[in-house]
Amino acid sequence: MDPTTLVNTLVAAWPLLWTGLQMTLFVTVVSLVVAMPLGVVTCLMNLSKFRALRGIAKFYIWLIRGTPMLVQGFYIYLAMPQLIQATIAPDFRIDVVTASVVTLILNAGAYASEIFRGAIQSVPDGQTEASRSLGVSHFKTMQKIVIPQAVRICLPSLVNQCIITLKDSTIMYAIGLPEIMNQAKVYVGRTFDSLATYTWVAVIFLIIISVLMIVSSQLEKRMRA
Amino acid sequence: MDKNNIKIHVEGLTKDFGDNHVLRGIDIDIHAGEVVCVIGPSGSGKSTFLRCLNRLEEATSGTITIDGASITDPKADVDKIRQHVGMVFQQFNLFPHYTVKQNIMFAPVELKLKSKEEAAATAERLLARVGLAEKIDAKPRSLSGGQQQRVAIARALAMDPDIMLFDEPTSALDPEMVGEVLDVMRELAQQGMTMVVVTHEMGFAREVADRVIFVDEGVIQEEGTPAEVMGNPQNPRTKSFLSKVL
Repeated sequence: MDPTTLVNTLVAAWPLLWTGLQMTLFVTVVSLVVAMPLGVVTCLMNLSKFRALRGIAKFYIWLIRGTPMLVQGFYIYLAMPQLIQATIAPDFRIDVVTASVVTLILNAGAYASEIFRGAIQSVPDGQTEASRSLGVSHFKTMQKIVIPQAVRICLPSLVNQCIITLKDSTIMYAIGLPEIMNQAKVYVGRTFDSLATYTWVAVIFLIIISVLMIVSSQLEKRMRA
Repeated sequence: MDKNNIKIHVEGLTKDFGDNHVLRGIDIDIHAGEVVCVIGPSGSGKSTFLRCLNRLEEATSGTITIDGASITDPKADVDKIRQHVGMVFQQFNLFPHYTVKQNIMFAPVELKLKSKEEAAATAERLLARVGLAEKIDAKPRSLSGGQQQRVAIARALAMDPDIMLFDEPTSALDPEMVGEVLDVMRELAQQGMTMVVVTHEMGFAREVADRVIFVDEGVIQEEGTPAEVMGNPQNPRTKSFLSKVL
């Protein structure tokens, strides 16, 4: 594989790869933006004193952790619409972008909620006790003492979850989302240029994820400072 | 002492952790300005007793009244009562994301008891009092254990409490830092603060306490002046404990 071929492939494949990359980034960003609040809500439900709320949160996390994402994607795109058509809405349709985003949201939300829970629980009880002993309410203690410390603890893990969601978005290739792998496959189908094309796909991911990893390690450094 | 200046009234206090009966019936009255040191072997229930006083632990049965307000009542306004009862912990528990000044200002400002300016002035005054004026903008982690504990005392004092609870305040400190914390506590006692101090510092108890109570097996085994309890103990358990620590 000489450098000229590599560069030529990038130039030729770029229109398709760029379209795919935009889709990849779009579904990743939209999913993460929705998944983070979902994770916070799930975490608060999980730590709630109401058993029903805890039950719902635990069931959701169990369901997501206990099934492969590929199965979830097929289920949401193909199986669930059949169920809905047969029961409540005969005309129900879901497009592949929506199905992919929903799958990624449900996944990242469940894992983010566990990250938040771990972070909140890793703030020592003494912090809560010190604040409550001063007469500060439970709510204010969470808001001003526990959550600010938990956020610092979980930032590196959250960046890591962003990396995972970005990579997981390629699984949606299997239900036909026109993301970067799908577009690369289209290009390879025309040219049989597997080596150079998939090398570029890998390089593109490496570049984006390296940036995120640098952000993560900077956050970790600042946390320790 | 007369009945009118009882700050803390404890009656029939018990506390179970599952099958473990940590407190088996504690009765005590603590008066305004009194310094009570609680001594006893580890696991005797002395810290649990202290933590029940501001309801960091829920009593299993019995009543605790602070300045006439029942804190064991399920409907009690616990936050309100706690505002007048400062607490100092073994592990300091300073807020690591705040500076020393912010640690001290936190509660008075959050509870809207003081303006930011007033709270800042209070913080400066209290830090001077505990000898840490120059550390006002430091982060807790940059301070020694003794310094952190003095800041923790200042943080509790910022609420203008009339009772202070100390839960083994010097147990986590290197020996050379114990003195500086005890000095601050001694000064507080001389200024008339009502104090309940769970401690292993027998010298401090002997010198500063108005009353020493010896707790073992979840009950008060013996109480009296330091001279009585430590100089001439009557209870065999007290004798045995003191022979090990003195």
